[in-house]
Amino acid sequence: MIDSFSILLSHGLLLVAFWRLLARPDLDDEAATPAIHADAADPAAQARERTIFPDA
Amino acid sequence: MRDLFFLGFLAGLFLLALKRPFLFVLVYSYIDIVSPQRLTYILLNSIPISAIAFLCAFGGWLVADDKRDSRFSWRQVLMVMLLGWCAYTTVTADFPIDAAHKWSWVWKSLIFAIFLPLTLRTRLRIEALILTMILCASAIIVTGGVKTVLSGGGYGELNLMVDNNSGLYEGSTISTVAIAIIPLLFWLAKYGTIFRPDWKVRFYALALAGACLLIPIGTQTRTGLLCIILLGTLVIWRSQKRFAIGGAIALLAVITIPFLPATFTQRMGTIKNYQGDQSASTRVQVWKWTWDYVKTHPAGGGFDAYRSNRFTYYMTEMQGKGDDARMVRSKITEAGRAYHSAYFEVLGEQGYPGFLMWALIHILSLLTTHRIYRRYRGLGHDPDKAWISPLAAALQQGHLVYLLGAAFIGVAYQPFIFMLVALQIGLATYLARISQQDGSDKMFAPAAPASAHKGRVMA
Repeated sequence: MIDSFSILLSHGLLLVAFWRLLARPDLDDEAATPAIHADAADPAAQARERTIFPDA
Repeated sequence: MRDLFFLGFLAGLFLLALKRPFLFVLVYSYIDIVSPQRLTYILLNSIPISAIAFLCAFGGWLVADDKRDSRFSWRQVLMVMLLGWCAYTTVTADFPIDAAHKWSWVWKSLIFAIFLPLTLRTRLRIEALILTMILCASAIIVTGGVKTVLSGGGYGELNLMVDNNSGLYEGSTISTVAIAIIPLLFWLAKYGTIFRPDWKVRFYALALAGACLLIPIGTQTRTGLLCIILLGTLVIWRSQKRFAIGGAIALLAVITIPFLPATFTQRMGTIKNYQGDQSASTRVQVWKWTWDYVKTHPAGGGFDAYRSNRFTYYMTEMQGKGDDARMVRSKITEAGRAYHSAYFEVLGEQGYPGFLMWALIHILSLLTTHRIYRRYRGLGHDPDKAWISPLAAALQQGHLVYLLGAAFIGVAYQPFIFMLVALQIGLATYLARISQQDGSDKMFAPAAPASAHKGRVMA
């Protein structure tokens, strides 16, 4: 039970991380860095980035 | 059922990685740390997933990755030399069959560590590797932490999902790794971009750090306690609010002690009385034996050379209680005892040359990372550089904690420590490239003028 919880939690987070990395052009090219700081004043943009599926 | 879960999970990761080949590097790291083959019964054991992941990672880098700014550091050169030296000592080993068995995984660990920094070309890749390492370790740490809270654990009793007491699933090793990743965990919670810092991320980081601190208690390993003390000292030393943080740590310790299991406090009490403890006494004897062995075998005895050791010593311990208490001196004879220390492991197996290479890899890493920490310190106002100095500090603290734990466990060739070294190399080469592009910093630049080196640069 505890083992299953631990495996599901860690592997679930890994999967989410991998999924988010797919949508990040700066993974391969630093010049394509998304505006991490430029969106600071735009709560809607921040909310979009927080979602699991940023491309959706 | 578990077999199907891991098979499906790995298939999902491989599919995602087809779109972004760097993800294969993370998949290999996952397999190296979690060893899903050990958690399953049949399916994954029959597929060479580790080899497939490495071939995909290397192939992806070779075919699809931008290699214009790939750099090769002196530490990677040292790792190549160490790999060659290990191959030589394996061929000439005292115990060829055992040596060949250990070589079968050590070379993979070294090759991956040599390759890994070449792929860490962007800040996001460095962060992604740190996140993967922490989440992978958390698969073992969360279960260990929860079980410690529920049952209190016990030395050699805490079930970390598998009976196989090797790799990160060994009590002292996971204790060391759990404490070593805490600084990186807090760095991610503050500067992460994959999981942006918000209350959920901070809460998870705090909970996981708590689980990390519970691992040495649950496994009741003395090594883990020493690692906690070292980490606390390093944090206080680096902190600008030394008294506030020192006070908070002291308060936390005072509050925690009454809740610790009695068996834990008893076992920790044996740290200062090693003569009455067979496990600790045997270590000291093995270390003495190794020191003498390498004097007559300066080139080392190859992997598992400890198998030829045999020694006799006397142990003094208190038996009975109250008025019946008496000191008893007993004669102990041991043979074929493992090194129980990464330093003596390398010294005995690889002799002076191998030890020198291995030690230089770590010393250069610590020095370079410290240089990065100092160079980028005080840039908290610059959003593009604020993350660098704290990351260097976290990597250095984690590395030092690991090196302390390694003094008591034979983890010299653990993939985890080589990944930590590779991360430091990756950070240094990344910054060297950025600095070169900016033309603002000559910290890592070679003596030749910038226009003269369009190819690879040593960092």
